[in-house]
Amino acid sequence: MASRFAPRLLLQRLSTLRRARRTSSILVASEAPADVGGGGLFSPPGPRSALGPRCVSRVSFSTRPSALDERQNPAAIDYRSLMSEEEFHTLADETIHDLLEKFEEYGDAIQVDGYEVDYGNHVLTLKLGSLGTYVINKQTPNRQIWLSSPVSGPARFDWDSTAKTWVYRRTKAALLQLLEGEVGQLCGEPISLR
Amino acid sequence: MLRAAGRRFLRLGSEHRAPTAAVAARAYHERVVDHYDNPRNVGSFDKNDPTVGTGLVGAPACGDVMKLQIKVDDATGKIVDACFKTFGCGSAIASSSVATEWVKGKHMEEVLSIKNTEIAKHLSLPPVKLHCSMLAEDAIKAAVKDYEAKKAKLEAGNAETTQTEKVDGA
Repeated sequence: MASRFAPRLLLQRLSTLRRARRTSSILVASEAPADVGGGGLFSPPGPRSALGPRCVSRVSFSTRPSALDERQNPAAIDYRSLMSEEEFHTLADETIHDLLEKFEEYGDAIQVDGYEVDYGNHVLTLKLGSLGTYVINKQTPNRQIWLSSPVSGPARFDWDSTAKTWVYRRTKAALLQLLEGEVGQLCGEPISLR
Repeated sequence: MLRAAGRRFLRLGSEHRAPTAAVAARAYHERVVDHYDNPRNVGSFDKNDPTVGTGLVGAPACGDVMKLQIKVDDATGKIVDACFKTFGCGSAIASSSVATEWVKGKHMEEVLSIKNTEIAKHLSLPPVKLHCSMLAEDAIKAAVKDYEAKKAKLEAGNAETTQTEKVDGA
């Protein structure tokens, strides 16, 4: 019984080990699970995405609408045009950690009732008391950072490799600029997040 | 099947909630629970029906897929019926359910102005669930777009056949 499960567990463990061991440098050769997208609507991500490097080309994510554009039928994700999960995690984690630090410093400098910065499970929550709550998290399958703002509502940011920023396609807003503007206005003190 | 399992899970949660007050802080708003317990407009129309527009948004990998369908009266452009099927959290189900309720009886142009903020406010969605309401808004737009695309295609097809008929007649 145990032997039947062992191979899959081993594979999962290998993939997590591989991810942990890799340094934060951007890869030249990226893994792309070329077969997963072909399954259509219901192919699950996860362990399968670590199954050996199929594609060796590195794709940079530009601002032109890709298969990920939510306006088109987005049910099946085209993994061939996505950046690698590794790269995404590196980029997104860096952005979110940076925001975490800056929000913490900001909180020390200003006086807002109920100001609280929370970070757990890669989800950053910024509470501004009665002014509202921001939630920033990663949406890995789409390679996006999702934001929920008490001012502008929900937004989904894609990485623009030319501008080196996270951009919300529908409004062309950049994540850091948007947060700077909104938080600065809500709390009455300018904040620099870039 | 998934919804029934989810419902059982939700009901289980609410039974255990009573003794400890601390857990109540994370409860679903009663409107969300209402949509879950009393689902409205769950179902499917024939997507090949020319009066039906189908909006399919989201992705299973993200944990949310919504299919929203509208039945339109060709003559008036009004939505006479709507139904939905959603795979996702309680907030997603409630958001799409509310969307089907709100589009019924309205004109197609009118429903395009339904905003995710209105849905979110109606259901008192917490910040982390605002994305569900946006998906519902997208589903409405996708359904209308699909209907109009089908209509345009049909009309183009009809125009061609009338032309060939004229040629034959001459």
